[in-house]
Order: sequence, then C-alpha cells, then structure tokens
Amino acid sequence: MRVNSFFNRNRKKKQEKEANNITQLVKNLDANLQNTKNLLDEPADLAIRKFTVRGSEHQCATVYIDGLVDGLYVRNNIIENIQLETEGKQIPDNKQKLFDELNQEILSTTSLQIGYTLDDVSNGILSGSTVLYLDGIDKVFIIKTQGWDKRDIQEPVTEALIRGPRDGFVEDLRTNMALMRRYIQDPNLRFKTYQIGRRSKKNLVVTYIADVIHPDILKEIKRRLDSIDTDDAPESGFIEQWIEDNYLSPFPQLMNTERPDKASAALLQGKAVIMLDGSPFVLIAPTTLGGAMQSPEDYYERWTIGTLLRILRYIAAFIAIFLPSLYIALVSFHPGMIPTNLAFSIAASREGVPFTPLIEAVLMAITMELLREAGVRLPKTIGQTIGIVGGLVIGDAAVQAGIVSPIMVIVVALNAIASFALPAYSIAIAFRIILFGFIFLAGTFGLYGIIIGYIMVNIHIVNLKSIGVPYSTPFAPTFFKDWEDLIFRKPIPLLTTRPEYMQTNDKQSTDKENRS
Amino acid sequence: MKRFEYADQKISDKQILVAVPSFVIGIGILSLPQSVASVSMASDGWISILIGGMIVLLITWSVAKLASSFPNQSFITYTSAIVTRPIAIVLTFLFAILSMSVTALQVRQIADIAKHYLLKETPVEIISFTFLLLIIYAVAGSRTGLFRLNTLFLPFVLFVALIVIAFNINWFDLGFLSPTFETSFSGYMEGVKNSVLSYAGFVILWFYITLVKEPKNTPKMAVLGMCIPIVLYLSLYLTCILVFGNSVTSNLQYPSIELAKIVEIPGGILERFESLFFVIWIMAIFNTTAMAFDIAVLALNTIFTNIGKINLIFIIAPIVYVTGMYPQDLVQVSIFGSFIGYSSVLYTVFVVILLFVIAKIRRVK
Repeated sequence: MRVNSFFNRNRKKKQEKEANNITQLVKNLDANLQNTKNLLDEPADLAIRKFTVRGSEHQCATVYIDGLVDGLYVRNNIIENIQLETEGKQIPDNKQKLFDELNQEILSTTSLQIGYTLDDVSNGILSGSTVLYLDGIDKVFIIKTQGWDKRDIQEPVTEALIRGPRDGFVEDLRTNMALMRRYIQDPNLRFKTYQIGRRSKKNLVVTYIADVIHPDILKEIKRRLDSIDTDDAPESGFIEQWIEDNYLSPFPQLMNTERPDKASAALLQGKAVIMLDGSPFVLIAPTTLGGAMQSPEDYYERWTIGTLLRILRYIAAFIAIFLPSLYIALVSFHPGMIPTNLAFSIAASREGVPFTPLIEAVLMAITMELLREAGVRLPKTIGQTIGIVGGLVIGDAAVQAGIVSPIMVIVVALNAIASFALPAYSIAIAFRIILFGFIFLAGTFGLYGIIIGYIMVNIHIVNLKSIGVPYSTPFAPTFFKDWEDLIFRKPIPLLTTRPEYMQTNDKQSTDKENRS
Repeated sequence: MKRFEYADQKISDKQILVAVPSFVIGIGILSLPQSVASVSMASDGWISILIGGMIVLLITWSVAKLASSFPNQSFITYTSAIVTRPIAIVLTFLFAILSMSVTALQVRQIADIAKHYLLKETPVEIISFTFLLLIIYAVAGSRTGLFRLNTLFLPFVLFVALIVIAFNINWFDLGFLSPTFETSFSGYMEGVKNSVLSYAGFVILWFYITLVKEPKNTPKMAVLGMCIPIVLYLSLYLTCILVFGNSVTSNLQYPSIELAKIVEIPGGILERFESLFFVIWIMAIFNTTAMAFDIAVLALNTIFTNIGKINLIFIIAPIVYVTGMYPQDLVQVSIFGSFIGYSSVLYTVFVVILLFVIAKIRRVK
C-alpha cells in the first residue's frame, strides 16, 4: 500500500514536471503571464490587469489573487503611480533603467521584493502579494499587499476573568505578534518564524525573551518543531500533539491560552510561547501541573484573595477527581465509616433504587458529559433549553422515577461544578477522564482501589515531562523557593524572582542592573 | 552557561535523606508496639526501641560511609575492587534475593492487612496482585520518579501519624507508664532484637548512594534520615502504651492501627478513622516495596548487564508473587518476616565488616 503510493507519487511528480517544466521567467510579458496561469491552472480568483506606463509603450501587468489583497492599496500605490505619477517624467527606453526607476521612484509601497523565478511568483501570489510584471525583463516585483478580513480583538470566551485585560488573541498572526509586542516592550523579545505544513505553509512563531529563557529549552522546542512533517496544521492543537512528550497521557503537556496577559506572564517566567497563524490559541511551553492550576486573576487580585482562590481550586480538583469514587467506596464497601445518622439517610434515600452505586454513578456521570457536550454544540438560543431539560432530567425526574438516589445527584452535580471551576479546560478534561478510572476502581476495590489509583496517577505524573521539565515540579523535584507562588501566593512586592525550576538566565524580575 | 538539566540518573543527597525514612517506615511500625510490649514491662519498651535505633544508626553510618567513599561506582564495581569479582557477584546476588524477599513479604502483608481492615471479601491473591502490578508500573518508570514519589508521599505519611498521636492526647493515662525499669535484661535484649528488625533498611544505602552526585555529606544525611523513623517509632510506641497500657498493647495485632480507631474527627464527618489511616499508610508501604523491587532490579542488572530493565522486571515479578503467596497463614507470614529481617540485618553487618577488613588489608582506596 505504502510502496504503491510512493511510486504513484513519484510518477505524478514526473508528470507535473513535464507539464510545468518552465520555472524561469522570460522577457516576454505575455509568455510570463501564460506560464503563471498554467502554473496555477487559471483559477477563477486570479486577477490580471495589463496596462502601459504612462507616456511610453512599456507594457506591464499586475497579478494577484482577489480576496487576499487589499484592492485599494494595489490601486492607490501601484497602478495609480505607474499610470499617473509618471506624467511629465522622462521615461527611459532601456528596460533595466525603467525597472530601477520603478523600484526607486515610482512605486510607493512599503515592502517590496524582486522575484527571479516562477516559484517566487507563485509563492508571492498565494501568500497575498501582488506581482508586477514589466515587459521585456525577466524579473518581477513582489509587493506585499496582504489585506483580508479579520476578526477584531475581543475578550476570549473560554477564559473570562472578572478583573483583567479584555483583549484576546485572534486568528491573524501579525495581530497576535503586535499584541505581544505591546505587552512586553523589550528589545530582547524575539520572534522566530517557522513554516509548518508542506501544503498549507502556515507561519508559526516561537516567542521568547532572549536573555531570560534557558537556551536548552529553546533548542529542544526548535528541535521538536523541526520534526513536524504534515500537510496542514489548522489549529495549534496539531502542533501540541506533534511536539508533546507523551501522547498516551491524559494530561496537557503544553498549556493553551487565548489571553495575551497570560502568555506574556509566561514569557517573563522564562517560558516560550508558540503562536500559529490561523489559531487564536497560543501554546505555552513548558507547563507544570502547578502552573495548570493557576489563573492570571490570582495575580490581579490582592494576595489573600489569590491564595484563597488557589486553595479553593485545589479543593475543586480533589472533588472533581475523587468525590463520586469516595461516595461509591464508602457506600458499597465501608458503610461503617459513614456517621450513623448520615448512613441512615443515605440508606433511606437509596431505598427502591435498583442499581448499585457504581452503575448509578457511571450513568449519572455519562449523562453529565452528554449535557456538557450538547451544551457546547447547541446554538446559544437553544442552549438554555438544554439547561432546563438537563436540570429536570438529572435533578428531579430521575430521582422521582427511582432510577438514582438524590444523594447521587448531589454528588455528581458537585463533581461537575468543581471540574468547571478549574481555570484551564484542558486540565479539567484530564481530571474528568481520570474520574471514570477512579469510579471503576472504587467500585471494585473500595478505598483500597482509590489509593491504588491515586498512587498510579502520581507515578504517571512524576514520570511525565513537558519539554524536559518534570510535570510535578516544583512539588517533586522540590524547589522550596518556588512554593512562594504555588498554592500560597506571596504579595506582589515580595515576588521578585523568576521561578527557580525554569533555571532562567536572569533571576531577578525587577533587577534593573541585569537588564542593561 | 549551566546546562538545563533535571539530572535523571543522578540524585542529590537530600533525596537520600527522604529515601531512608520512606524505605524504613512501612509495615514494621504497625505491629512493632505489640512485639516490644510483649517482652517488656509497662513502658520500658522505649529503651529497647532507642537502643535498637542507636545500633541501626551505627550500621547506617558505616554502610553509608563505606558506600560513599567510592563515589559514582556501583556496588558490584567497588566490591569487585575489594574482594574479587566472583565474590562481588555472589554478594550482589544475595542482596537481590534479599530485596526480592522483602518485596514479596510486603506484597503479602499489605494484602493481609487490607483484607483485615478494608476488603473483607476480596481474596488475598487478588489484592496482592493489584499491588504488585502497581509496583511494576512504578519500577518500570524512571528511578528518579521513585525518589520524587518518596518526596510526595512521606509528608502525607508523617502527617497522618502526627494526627493519630495528637488526637489521642485526650486518652493518655500517665498511670500506664509506671512501674519503670522493671524489665529483665533479657527482656530488653529481646525488645532490641524486635525493634532492629523493623528498622532494617540498609539495603537501599548500598545501591542508591552510588547514584548520588556528590556523596560527601551523604552519611550525615542517611543518619539524619534514619532519625525520622526512630522518633516516629518512639512516639507511636509511647502513645500506644499511654492509651492502651502494656497488657492490651501486647495482645493487639496491629496496635498502631488500633490507635487510629480511637481518633474522632471533629464534626463527625467520618467514622472509623483506622481505615483512612491504613489507606494513607499504603503510600508508605508502597514506597518501601517499590524501592525494594527497584533494588532487586538494579542489583541483577549489574550482574546480567545484557538483560533489559523491563525484561528483568517481568522475570522477577512472578517469582516475587509466588514467594509472597507461599506462606499459608499469618503465623507463617510472621516467621517469614522475622527470617527476612534477621538475614537483612546480619547480612548487612557481615558485608560491612567483610568489606572494611579486606579493604584495610588490601589497602583499596
């Protein structure tokens, strides 16, 4: 199968080569235009405009793809200049001289390159540039005229904050880079560009602060990015899956965010941010479990609030992973551990329920997942219906019908709410996956099963890495200094150094001597 | 420019400080108060535990000193230098067998206790099997991972022990302390013997110190680490005596777990704290077992260098399982346990003396 397609590909390549073996530009304008058209197979959106330089017989032509360029810009700065600005000027007869004059005097565009081959031409046209041909010369101008409709900067829907900047990344890479520039106005802020996708040729930018990040991290990220071999990467999720350390793990090894403030904070901690054209989600590398539990808001509110919020989030994580399994273990294996009064009321509420707690919990948890998934898919106008239906179905009707016990409804609802209280969707999903494992373990081995599962998750986490950094840092390997910003967050004026576990080049984030 | 490294093959001597108590604290302490109280009068057992601790500190220090004087050499390398390679292979192999027996014993005992306190209906074979699978998963990962697990779990274990002691203060009866110093000398000696068994954890020093990057301070760290279980054992033993009295303690199978039974959680959200206590204690037992298994693998790996780690794990695991399942009842398990304890201590002392003496005679540096 593979061998076959390999041969096919070779054959196809050969045929293509025979059809388009003209790769050089020629001096004749019409021939050039024809070759360009052949190369692209005369697409309907290819706009060709032939005209003459005013006051002479020189033929020239602009070629671009309609929709990728800013038409007004092409008209005002290219065509109009050649047709009008040349009035009264002495147009040289020599083609080369004219070409130089166009370059130097006539074209009033900001970014201009000279192309020599048809490859340059097709790459330029496809990326939204305008190509200007001049008859009688085998060179062309490739003028950057990109201009397409893009989304305005809006507050990200998935990461809303009460307090904090209201801007978010958009699909356009240039806008995103500009956003980063506005957040960190440092000459050492670097953008390293890569091209991803053999066919899609998406731009990917690795952002970092050169004198903060440890060079080995950068090297490792670059090495992994170079290994990407794909036709297209429509979302930064593709990049994440290509370069992550362990694809069997449920845990996200690169954090994604839509918030430029979060990304810039990561840069200042000595991490790198990977931005892909066409995706509003940027990747933060490396990531740790402790980092995944933090939200930018922890820093914007005062330290007491930030600390308490973090403690709350760890409790939420505990509930999101363990609550249903603990309930199952206690009810079916260790009823003696439940206080007598509570045990009675649980027993009373379970009366008439036909299923074991394990089945009950699995049923309810799956219902919860269905509701969540359906809620995402439905249009906003119908979304409310799902809320009502879901509330009635799992809240009331199921209990009335005697399928589940009311306590199980409380347990599952609390569990679901807790998982939505986590700041990152990807980590919340990871917890919800583990949850099912714990439910089954508790259903077969009770508390013993839960602790076995807990140890197992711990074994997995201590062996997991994100771009070479252990996922369990700074808990273990222990960096006590970094605990000042882990669960407990020190007041901002005391939080002066960068995290130790990132082994950054300059330690002090407020040390001005280091900056100069 | 320093390289960005989390030193996957090397560890710091602080990790030895954590690894030693993680290895020592395990099942031993659960029954230690019983075995000491049964041979001593009133509260006298603490003397035995303390003397036992001192002896153990001495052994720990000498093993650590010896092992760290050959920095970054594996056990088999430096023993080969001291006593020829064939003898070194025999010594290493015996250590591997010892570690495998420790693993087997732990796997069996945890199943017995879990059956007693948590899972009345589940067969011991199944509980052991799941626990062994967990151990295999842990050992198949990186060795550094094991040390990180020690750091993650030890605080939980110490914390829950502290809770058990703190919540029993209300039930202390100082009358149980007296009469003091009534025990006979042979009673003290018997107590010392029993307590030394539950401290036995020198095996890890022989093999893990070779992984330490700069082993200059390691003997100190190992001794400091050994102090943690000594303090813990002393305080748990005294709590048992103060709460139950000598005669009750010596008749309970697992007095330390029974202590947890008395704990009442404020607000009454949970009863029968002993189940929870034992669940947390499984972490401690896990650390012991995982490290013992890992040392068996490490030791065999230095002998059979051409067999891969994973293959070794799957060769050892069935042997461990069958060995663990062999004793028919609790009595046989406890005989097996004390046999392993004695051989571990005596063998270590024998190897230390052997190596020290021959190294002196042959002037191996």
